[in-house]
Amino acid sequence: MTSFSKTIAACALLIVVCIGALSFWSQIRNERDRQWVTHTLLVVEKLQAVRIDITQAETGQRGYMLTGQDRYLALYGAGVERVEQDLKELPDLIADNTVEREATQRLAPLIAERLAELHDGIEVRNQSGLLAGVEAVAHANNGEMWMGLIASQIAEMRRTEAMLLSRHLETAGASTRKMKLIIAFGNALAVFILLVKGLVIQKEIGRRNLAEQNLKHVNQMLEQKTVELSETNVEVESFAYSVAHDLRAPLRHIAGFSSVLIEDYGPRIDAEGQRCLKKIADGAQKMGHLVDDLLSLSKVGRQELLLEDTLLDPLLRQVVEELAPEYSGREIEWQIAGLSSAHCDPGLIKQVFVNLLSNAVKYTRRQQRAVIQVGETMQNGERVIFVKDNGAGFEMQYAGKLFGVFQRLHKTGDFEGTGVGLAIVQRIIRKHGGRIWAEAELDRGATFFFTLGVAERGPIRTTQVGAAHAITNDEVIHV
Amino acid sequence: MSNEVEILLVDDSPEDAELTVRALRRNKLANVIQVAEDGAEALDFLFCRGAHKDRTFAHPPRLVLLDLKLPKVDGLGVLRAVRADERTKKIPIVILTSSKQQQDLIEGYNLGVSAYAQKPVDFQQFSETIRQIGMFWMLINQPPPPEVFAAGKAGGA
Repeated sequence: MTSFSKTIAACALLIVVCIGALSFWSQIRNERDRQWVTHTLLVVEKLQAVRIDITQAETGQRGYMLTGQDRYLALYGAGVERVEQDLKELPDLIADNTVEREATQRLAPLIAERLAELHDGIEVRNQSGLLAGVEAVAHANNGEMWMGLIASQIAEMRRTEAMLLSRHLETAGASTRKMKLIIAFGNALAVFILLVKGLVIQKEIGRRNLAEQNLKHVNQMLEQKTVELSETNVEVESFAYSVAHDLRAPLRHIAGFSSVLIEDYGPRIDAEGQRCLKKIADGAQKMGHLVDDLLSLSKVGRQELLLEDTLLDPLLRQVVEELAPEYSGREIEWQIAGLSSAHCDPGLIKQVFVNLLSNAVKYTRRQQRAVIQVGETMQNGERVIFVKDNGAGFEMQYAGKLFGVFQRLHKTGDFEGTGVGLAIVQRIIRKHGGRIWAEAELDRGATFFFTLGVAERGPIRTTQVGAAHAITNDEVIHV
Repeated sequence: MSNEVEILLVDDSPEDAELTVRALRRNKLANVIQVAEDGAEALDFLFCRGAHKDRTFAHPPRLVLLDLKLPKVDGLGVLRAVRADERTKKIPIVILTSSKQQQDLIEGYNLGVSAYAQKPVDFQQFSETIRQIGMFWMLINQPPPPEVFAAGKAGGA
């Protein structure tokens, strides 16, 4: 998932959470608003009850005054009781509203006055009899006045409550609308974000599909290349096979029959003829070597590396022993310092030493006292193995040609060779991921250096630097 | 006995055959040498059929010098057929060829070749190689006893 897509997902989640919180808060407010509506309705109802109850008390009192029956007295008593109860409850209901509280405070004395008046009327009836009572009722003008005041006070309070009610209703409606809006908008936003996210995912899937397609295509191409490569390898293989068989046969015949000619007809051929025949045989022989060397070069190129931990010292001793026929009768001082082990293909690295040491043996041929040194040193944290001789050397300006196939820096008359040996060495070193280079001076010897690159990246034992041997970097040529 | 073929030389190159025969004769290593120029002819000879139907399995050559790259049936094909048959499987066969390709060496030994030698380009070395092979197989080596070839069917299986 890309960071962009992650951001979108996080946004969507955040928005959904916010909408949830907002709706919750909205719901709470809405409920509170509705409670207010209920509350206001209760107040209105209570005020209505006050009026009814006072009227009931008044009706009871009048009835009693006129009839003297207890049933009217009871009606009066119940009305008074309820009015008193109403007046007790009302302040609690309107405790939140200052205006109403003040109105109640104004209402209470009015009611008290009226109730007192009713009470006085009852007293008069009880003490002075029916006529006095009727008289009192007939002259109770004050009662009308008090009732008018009470009614107007209650009406005012009801108006206030009605106003409050409409306000509360409006607030409740508004909060409901707001909540609806929030929910609608939030859901729309969430849907939108999900849509965007969906599009992004679709786009990503598209991209991934494209990448997969590309990968598939590349894989197909790779497979095709591999097939082509293996076909080429088979071709090279069969070419090498043909070379090995068919090219060597005529050479053998040239060499063979010129020798037969010398053996069988020698006495009849003069010295010049013999010399020519020898040249023919030598030429065939040399070409045989060239074919063999080319085959080994091609074989090295195709060969798979078989890497294993290899002790280089015994390998070197073996090579020196095997080369013995090449330096029999000569005095050579071998200076082979302890080489640490290497992770390499032992067969191929042996070939490297065979080629480098046989070169050293060959090019020190004219030295009275040949010194051939093999050792190792560290350069920039990398182990460098070197083979140094005090032989013919070469001019550094030609160093670039050293490792080319069939490239030679010496005349065949001076030093024989096909010019393939160092090409093989270079190919082996490169297969190991290493480098090879040389430094030399004409008639003062040559030194070949190589590293084993990739193959050496495993753990290397502490390397002992060979006998005192200064190597200066600026003299070194990398090939 | 003196007319029995001692060495069967299988080589499609008349020059190689001539040089080989010359080296053998010089060292007096064989009197009767039969040359087969392709694998089919070699098999006819060894299995006593076709032009060689008068031969018997009781008298195989003491040594077969076998080239690998041959017309019709190649050297490894000849080797496979000979080793697969009880009547011929004990005949000493030395591969003598230009190549020392790894796959040939492996396949040759897999099929049970007796020895494998490469023909050197240099004539002196070539002669020496032939001489040593002849010396060993004709003089030093003890061949399988004639009984295993008698009656055309070998006992030890």
